[in-house]
Amino acid sequence: MNRWRRRRLLTRSLLYGGAAFLALQAAFPFFWMLSTSFKPPVEVFAQPPSFIPEDPTWDNFRRLFTATGFLVYFKNSLIVSGLAVLLTMVVSAAGAYSLTRYRYLGREKIAGLILCTYMFAPIMVVIPFFILVKKAGVENTHFALVLAFTSFCLPFTLWLMRAFFATIPLELEEAALVDGAGRVRALIYVVLPLALPGIIATSIFTFILAWNDYIFTRILITSDELKTLPVGVQDLFHSALIDWGLIMAAGIMITIPALLFFLSVQKYLIRGWGAGGVKG
Amino acid sequence: MIGVSYPESKPVELSGARPGSGANFPGSGFARRGWIPATTPERRQQWMGWLTIAPALFLILALTLYPVAYSIWLSLLEKHSFFPQERFIGLENYFYLWKDEEFWTSLWLGTVYSMWTILFQIILGVAAALILNETFVGRGLVRAIVLFPYMIPTIVAVILWKWLLNDTYGVVNYWLFAFGIIRDPMSWLGADHIMLSVIVMSIWQFFPFVLLSILARLQTIPPELYEAAKVDGASAIRRFLNVTLPQIRGILFVVILLRSIWMFTKFDTVWLMGEGAGAGRFIRTLPVYAYMRTLTYYQAGLGAALAVIMFAILIVCTIIYFRMFREEADIG
Repeated sequence: MNRWRRRRLLTRSLLYGGAAFLALQAAFPFFWMLSTSFKPPVEVFAQPPSFIPEDPTWDNFRRLFTATGFLVYFKNSLIVSGLAVLLTMVVSAAGAYSLTRYRYLGREKIAGLILCTYMFAPIMVVIPFFILVKKAGVENTHFALVLAFTSFCLPFTLWLMRAFFATIPLELEEAALVDGAGRVRALIYVVLPLALPGIIATSIFTFILAWNDYIFTRILITSDELKTLPVGVQDLFHSALIDWGLIMAAGIMITIPALLFFLSVQKYLIRGWGAGGVKG
Repeated sequence: MIGVSYPESKPVELSGARPGSGANFPGSGFARRGWIPATTPERRQQWMGWLTIAPALFLILALTLYPVAYSIWLSLLEKHSFFPQERFIGLENYFYLWKDEEFWTSLWLGTVYSMWTILFQIILGVAAALILNETFVGRGLVRAIVLFPYMIPTIVAVILWKWLLNDTYGVVNYWLFAFGIIRDPMSWLGADHIMLSVIVMSIWQFFPFVLLSILARLQTIPPELYEAAKVDGASAIRRFLNVTLPQIRGILFVVILLRSIWMFTKFDTVWLMGEGAGAGRFIRTLPVYAYMRTLTYYQAGLGAALAVIMFAILIVCTIIYFRMFREEADIG
C-alpha cells in the first residue's frame, strides 16, 4: 500500500511539474514583453534586470502612438483583415453549402483539389503572385492584399465550414421544405442559426491568419501609409539604436487583439482542429 | 427520372453515408436519399451545386493554382522583378543554380533547420498532449496558455526572442551567467549560434500545433481500452506503446506531413530572425534564398526557379513518405 502511494505521489508530481513547465515556457516570454514595455529606457537596460518594473511608465505606449505610424498600421490591419474575413466567409459558406447540400458531378474532385491547395505554402505562391499583381497593375493596394489573404485562407475555411455544415441534420431542413418554405428561407431560418458558432469560429481563425501575416504584406505593399502592423513594426528595427521599450509596447498592442479573439474561440478550437486545423 | 447524369450505383455522398436509392416514387427516397431533399430535381441540383461552389473554385484556381503554374513559366525566363522586360532562356536558371554554391548551402541549411524543428516539435507536442490529457487542477488554464505562442504574429515571437537572447541585456544570458553556466555573454544571434536559436524559437512557436492535433485525437480514445490494459497489468510505457500509439498513428502521419511541408517552406520566422542580426546568411534557408533572389537581387526568374525546385522536392518527398507509411495513410 505504501509503495503504491509513493508511486502515485511520484507520478502526480511529475505531472504537475510537466504542466508547470508547459505553462511557464509559454507565458514567461509574454510576461517579459509586458514588463519591458512599462519600463523607462534606463531600466530596460539595467543589469541585473528587474522583473516587475520598479518605475512603471506609459511613456513607451505614448511614444508608440504619437511618434510612429502605429495607429495608421493598426487601422490598415483592421481594414484588410476585416475585408478578408468578409470575403472569405461569404465565399466559403456558399462553397460549404454546395459541398454538403447538393449532389453534382465532380463534387468530390473539387473537395480533394481544395484540400490539396491547403498544403501550399505562401512562399511558393507569393513570388509568381507578386509578378502577376504587378502585371495586373494592382500592386501596392489593399485590394491585392485582401485577395491574397482570401486565397490563402480559403482552403482551410472551406474545409472547416464543410465539417460544421455536415453536422447540421438535414432532416430539419427537409422538414422546413415540406412545410412549404423555399430553399432560401430554409437556409436563413434553419441552417444559418445552427451554423453560426462554426461561422464565428472560422471567421476568427481567418482574422488571426490575416492579422498575423507578414510575407504577403511585405511583398505586395511598398508605401508606408498602406502597411499593416507586422511589417510596420519590423521597420521600427531599422533605427540605429533599437528602442526595446517601444518595440515591446508595439508587440503588446499587436498581440492583444489576436489573443482576445483566440480566447473567444478557444472552446471551438479542438472541435475545429479535428476538421482541418489552422495553417502556419 | 429527370436529368440523371450519373448512375445511382456510384454514391457520391461524403464519407459514403446514406447511399441513395434508385427509386424516385413519392415518399420512398426521403430519408434514404440523404443529402438531397427529394423536392429538388436533379438537374437543378447540378446547377445550384456548381453555382454555389463557383466563387470559391474560381478564387483558388485564379489566385493559387494559376500563380503556381505561372511560376514554372517564370522560371524559364530572365526577368527583372520590377521591370516588364522578359526573355525566354529555357532551363538556364536551373543550370545556374546547379553550379551555384549558395543554392546548395541554402538547401543544406533548410534541411538542417526543418529536420531538427520537426523532430522536437513532434516529441514535445506528443509529450505535452499526453500531460494535458490527464486530469489535474488548472488544466483548462494551462491548455489555453500553452497555445499562445502559436496564435501570435510571427513578428511578435521574433522580437520577443531577439530581446530574450540579446547578448548584452538579454535575460537568457543573465540567467546562464547567474547560474554559472557561462562565463562570458553568448552571442546567440551571432554566426555560431544563430541556427540553434532559430531552431529553439521555431520549436517554441510551432509545437502547440502538434499538441493540439494530438490532444484532439487523444480525447476520442475510449477509456475502456486503458482500463483493459491496466487490468492486464501493463506498465505506463506499455500502455503508451500498445494502446495510445496505435490510436494516434493516423493523426501523427498527417501532422508530420503538414509540419514537414510548412517547416521546409517556412519563410517569415527564419527571415525575420536573420534580418539585422548580421549573421543572417548562416540561416539562409531555401525559402529565404528564393525571396532574396526575387526581392534583393531582383531576379524573378531565378526566384521562381527556386520556388519550383522547392515544390518538386516536396512532391517527391511526399510520395516517398506515402509509400513508406502506406498503412498509416489508410488510417489517416
